[in-house]
Amino acid sequence: MKGKVLSLLLAAAMAASLLAGCGSAKTDEGSEAASSAETEAAAEGEAGTEAAAEAEAGKNPVTLKTVSMFGGTDPNAGVYQAINQEFMGEYEYITIEDNSQSSDEDWKASVAADFSVGNEPDVIQYFADATANTVLATDKFVTLDEIQAEYPEYAQDTLEAALEAVTNPDGVRRAVPTTGYWEGLFCNKDLFDEYDLELPADWDSLVTAIDTFKENGIIPIACSLNNVPHYWVEYFLLYAAGEADYITTPGEAPESWVKGLETFKTLRDMGAFPEDTDTVDNDYTGQLFINKQAAMQLDGSWFAGSIEDTDNTVVIAFPGLEDQKAQAGAMVGGISSGFYITKKAWEDPDKREAAVRFVEAHTSKEAVQRYWEATGAISKAAVEVDSIDGMTPLALSALDYTNGATSICAPTDSRLGQEPYAVIISNIVKISTGSASADDVLNEALELYAQRSE
Amino acid sequence: MLYKRRWPLLIFLVPGLLFMFIFLYVPFIENIKNSFYDMTAIVEMPGTKWKFIGLRNYRKLITDPDVGTALFNSLKMMVLTILFEVGIAFILAVLVSQVKKLQQLFRTLYFFPVVISATALGLLFKLFYNYNGGMLNQILEYFGKEPVNWLSTELAFTMICIPTLWSYIGFYFVILLTGLSDISDDLYEAAAIDGCNRFKQVFYITLPMMKPVFFTSVTLAVTGALKVFDLPWVMVPNGAPQGVTHFLGTYMYQTTFSLSNFDYGSTLAILIVVLGIVVSRMMRFLTKDRKGGE
Repeated sequence: MKGKVLSLLLAAAMAASLLAGCGSAKTDEGSEAASSAETEAAAEGEAGTEAAAEAEAGKNPVTLKTVSMFGGTDPNAGVYQAINQEFMGEYEYITIEDNSQSSDEDWKASVAADFSVGNEPDVIQYFADATANTVLATDKFVTLDEIQAEYPEYAQDTLEAALEAVTNPDGVRRAVPTTGYWEGLFCNKDLFDEYDLELPADWDSLVTAIDTFKENGIIPIACSLNNVPHYWVEYFLLYAAGEADYITTPGEAPESWVKGLETFKTLRDMGAFPEDTDTVDNDYTGQLFINKQAAMQLDGSWFAGSIEDTDNTVVIAFPGLEDQKAQAGAMVGGISSGFYITKKAWEDPDKREAAVRFVEAHTSKEAVQRYWEATGAISKAAVEVDSIDGMTPLALSALDYTNGATSICAPTDSRLGQEPYAVIISNIVKISTGSASADDVLNEALELYAQRSE
Repeated sequence: MLYKRRWPLLIFLVPGLLFMFIFLYVPFIENIKNSFYDMTAIVEMPGTKWKFIGLRNYRKLITDPDVGTALFNSLKMMVLTILFEVGIAFILAVLVSQVKKLQQLFRTLYFFPVVISATALGLLFKLFYNYNGGMLNQILEYFGKEPVNWLSTELAFTMICIPTLWSYIGFYFVILLTGLSDISDDLYEAAAIDGCNRFKQVFYITLPMMKPVFFTSVTLAVTGALKVFDLPWVMVPNGAPQGVTHFLGTYMYQTTFSLSNFDYGSTLAILIVVLGIVVSRMMRFLTKDRKGGE
């Protein structure tokens, strides 16, 4: 009997709580709806004549779902958000729901998942190279030709070479880029001056610099082999193989590629990398360089934004390798991403124009100029940019470097794709210690590439 | 029998079961299926078809040296958790149980690391171990010694184990202390009258009376060791240096999310689940009789 009473009481309490929950939810919904109506009314009042004009023009309210790689600590993130705000101010009927993040592997996986289940955004800034293959396979992007047939002014400020650079691997143009990048050797020039060293211009001078710095307790090269050895992989392959062989994906590992990757062991044995290069991350090694504990760092143009001492830091061409096949001044870089409009937005009559205007707002000459300046005015712009006054010595050295480039090649991952490239990257530490053979690693990656290309 | 009609109970049980089914069992079955396919992306994209590869991933599992390292490290961690997590926790619990004043303070202090996130602890210890300017090397430098690479291939596993084990001692400490408090004071008093000193009391009263609590702690520690992931991943991602600090969890994560090898990652996940079942069954078997024919 006692049990029955207890269970009855419990059931009554639970039922009451459920009913109370329903009631409160209803109240909340009611109050939310009321407050939202009030907010809307207030917003409408504030918008005044402009909103009325839009309404007269027959524009339905549009919510644009956008995604970009301008998130986190990206120097472009501020400009991207500012342009979004200005855009919403100009087109009051458009609301942007933005979900920008740094482009790490988790983010790429979530983008792929969204596209596969039909949850893709209306506009996305994404890769144009082989990294995009997975998403491109869903055939959910509108081509540039289709857009320009209806909106001839679309991407009109963008340089032809830039549009060519972001042509997808299937030869179709879909993306509109903003800025590109280059990879170069950042040097703490004050450290070179302190030890009477010339900036490295070839393999021998690089070796001399490494030896001298090592003897004086300075880390010669700031690099985390366990985290981001990518830049060194690219330049070792480029300079060992030469431009033509570098941009060709072979069936089996060529001797030159093997020799290129084996340079990791040579440099490691010389003590060129930090003692803890196997365990630290890229942010940490970057800090070693910025704090003048390390003399050189091979990195992308985006690294310039984090350098504080822009007067004593310069960027130069990769010095080269022994018996190199690439010509001096060969550079890794390009434009690898751009804004895409998805078919989901294109096929929605209300969203079509909004998406086009959104991409134009981010890829116009004025917008790209702002992106370019945000990255220290040293990246590769997709439009004709106006030079700025008061460039720092670092920016000037970058300008010299890019102007003097004898060739520009896109990095290997843009051809191999993410998964085969990851095989190489994950084995760099082992190659550098000699516990894995560069030949085996490259063949494993190339075999995977062949499988994926089938 | 408390309830005559059982069907109302189902109303309360079904939502939880459905939740488990949708978010645990369906993905797990999907995971088993995925391990037999060559996954080109994390999900099968429209317009693509994954190739059936049979047991290729399972054959690779047997020959992969990194799996060997990860498995060995996970097994070593199991032994270490019993010795150090449960062992030290027991010593601390016995000592604290003897203290009448400040017992609550000790409880809080020892339990404190458990509530700190593993990410924060990992970053903290990473700063201790840093070669350039890390706390340990600063101390060495102060005494005129050469800096040490605390995360070199020789030292890394030990240095990772220290915070991993330390951070969970408090958890077992609380369990064991609760077990100790359940032992009647009468037993100790009777033993004391019989001339048994404190040390002997621990051996002849505390240890035998604590067996069930011990076995529960050991089972939790051993199965928990299989799930070690967050702290080592924060301190030394990708099994750094040179893969020597890989555990099954970290290797599975690296394979799946860093190398985008989703099908092989699925195979590793199955290995972890199977091993978890085997270990927990073994623990159940080993402690069965001692728990009084449970």
